[in-house]
Amino acid sequence: MTVPALDLQAVRRVFGPVVAVDNVSLSVAKGEFVTLLGPSGSGKTSTLRLVGGFDPLDGGAIRINGARIDHLPAYQRDTATIFQSGALFPHKTVAENVAFGLRMRKVGASEIADRVKQYLDIVRLSGFADRYPAQLSGGQKQRVALARSLAVRPAILLFDEPLSALDLSLRLQLRAEIKSLHDQLGFSAIYVTHDQGEAMALSSRVAVMRNGAIEQIGAPESIFHAPANEFVYTFIGESCCLPVRFGDVATDSAGAPVDLHLEVSQPPGEARLYIRPSRLRFGAQAAGLPNRLKAQVDFVEFLGEANRYHLRAGAVEVFADHPGPALHAAGEVVDVGWQSADMRVFR
Amino acid sequence: MTDDAGFTAARSTRARRNRAAPWVLMLPALVLVVIFFGLPTVYMARMSFNLSEGAKLFTPGFTLANYRNIFSNEVFTDAIWTTVKLSLMASLATLAIGYGFALLVWLKPAKWRLIFIGLALCPLLISEIAIIFGWWMFFPKNGLLSFSLLNAGLITDKISLMYTEFAAFVGLVYLTLPFCFFILLSILDGLDKRMLEAGADLGASPLTTFREVVLPLTRNGLLVAFSQCFIFTMGTYATPSALGPDTLWTLGFLVQEQMLGRNNWPLASALSMVLVVSVGAMMIFTRALSAKRATLHV
Repeated sequence: MTVPALDLQAVRRVFGPVVAVDNVSLSVAKGEFVTLLGPSGSGKTSTLRLVGGFDPLDGGAIRINGARIDHLPAYQRDTATIFQSGALFPHKTVAENVAFGLRMRKVGASEIADRVKQYLDIVRLSGFADRYPAQLSGGQKQRVALARSLAVRPAILLFDEPLSALDLSLRLQLRAEIKSLHDQLGFSAIYVTHDQGEAMALSSRVAVMRNGAIEQIGAPESIFHAPANEFVYTFIGESCCLPVRFGDVATDSAGAPVDLHLEVSQPPGEARLYIRPSRLRFGAQAAGLPNRLKAQVDFVEFLGEANRYHLRAGAVEVFADHPGPALHAAGEVVDVGWQSADMRVFR
Repeated sequence: MTDDAGFTAARSTRARRNRAAPWVLMLPALVLVVIFFGLPTVYMARMSFNLSEGAKLFTPGFTLANYRNIFSNEVFTDAIWTTVKLSLMASLATLAIGYGFALLVWLKPAKWRLIFIGLALCPLLISEIAIIFGWWMFFPKNGLLSFSLLNAGLITDKISLMYTEFAAFVGLVYLTLPFCFFILLSILDGLDKRMLEAGADLGASPLTTFREVVLPLTRNGLLVAFSQCFIFTMGTYATPSALGPDTLWTLGFLVQEQMLGRNNWPLASALSMVLVVSVGAMMIFTRALSAKRATLHV
């Protein structure tokens, strides 16, 4: 069995009464790209900072290439972080920034020059070597930060929400660049983000975190298609939630009956039905489907590629995406239908 | 056509106004500076060329005798040297202590910050005279310092540091420390603390990160703080006179003596001009040392 690039065993970090990282165990194989995904306060950045050595560990063990490193200060760990702010040195040129880590590692001058050139080429900033960070755009700064971390060829790269300060189009562009760099260079990485799109697009594996613990870890596809629990389901991908009480007839939270037909009958009691809005079908398309709901169109949002219909059946609100021209106007009563495989019920 | 001409005229009027705007906005401050700082300095410069004869405060005229006197008389040249030396030492010491203190406050968690800033503000709330009285209880033979050292077993006999150059030095450092501290803290607050982590992350020890990152980025702030301390200590009169020995003749002391004791206003003015010029020279010097790259920092 090969030694993983990074191995966390029951890692723990406590801030006063708050357990920020609660017995997290995680292993990153060589060349693997693992994302820690979660809402703010879920402990993903805290976990990353423990690996980087910026915060002390309150329990557990961290190994890089098999060797314990949790007792070492940050500057003796073979990690390199790409910070959200970039944290470039403003008084150093782009080339000096990239060379910094190499100088600290006592790499020879000629090799430093080679590697600076190589990694600036890789992030497509060859012409910017003599500029200062203040002369660069936000995206360029993050590319320099990336080159600076890549240049030291660390055992593991740590990405701390590197794209969250950028605007959308730049974010998508840099996301694709990081992906292609990973394919080219095969570095091992932990990537922290609250953006599920980034997590899905980049990762070999995604770890969904909440309250300092990992809720589910697996390939992006398995997380998306087979979420382990309600939190993971709602956090990954869009979903609409139908809070329903099952009894003789299905009712909404206020007790009013809802015209809902399910293929598999549910035991009585409160339940939450989740469906992806893109899997809902309307009118004639809904007719042959085993699960149906009669609802009134509240209003319609134009999303570009599709229309989003906000529907209401009593107190139950649903939204459904449908490509093409608007089919129904506000006020119309329509049938919506879905396959049983597209629905999840949580109680 | 006429309309176009009208718009062109309106545009050029607007452009003229935009050019004038900075000056108009600066005017009130400029007037105050000229009236309260510029004119008195010009008057003092003129006074330094007047004659002093007999018992009169001054006799209008033009002579270089006052300056010749200052630069030929050992009493005055020694005083210039003493003042510069004392100010330099006090400013450097202030800078070292203030920088350490500011770094500490910058690095510590925010909850400590207010306490430290409050402590640094204290000396500014007390008048220089009151502070001098405080030192008078601290330095003498039966003062707090002697008592503490004796009780700590560090000395066997009571000592007095009152009326020594060291006491004057300590007094000056104490006086300028808050200013130095606040200047440096404001510079440090402008830095992204993540840079320290980035330094460590790339393999630099804390000391190396300090040398490679923090020091170059605070260099200009250090120069500003140093100039501020130097200007302050050069001109201060009360503290060195009250705490130092009778033989500690600073420029401030001599100005006072010539002005009030000897009624020689022209000579007092000439001494003051020497002070003004040496402070100006120090400012030009520190400005020249400022990093050229400074303009590129955010």
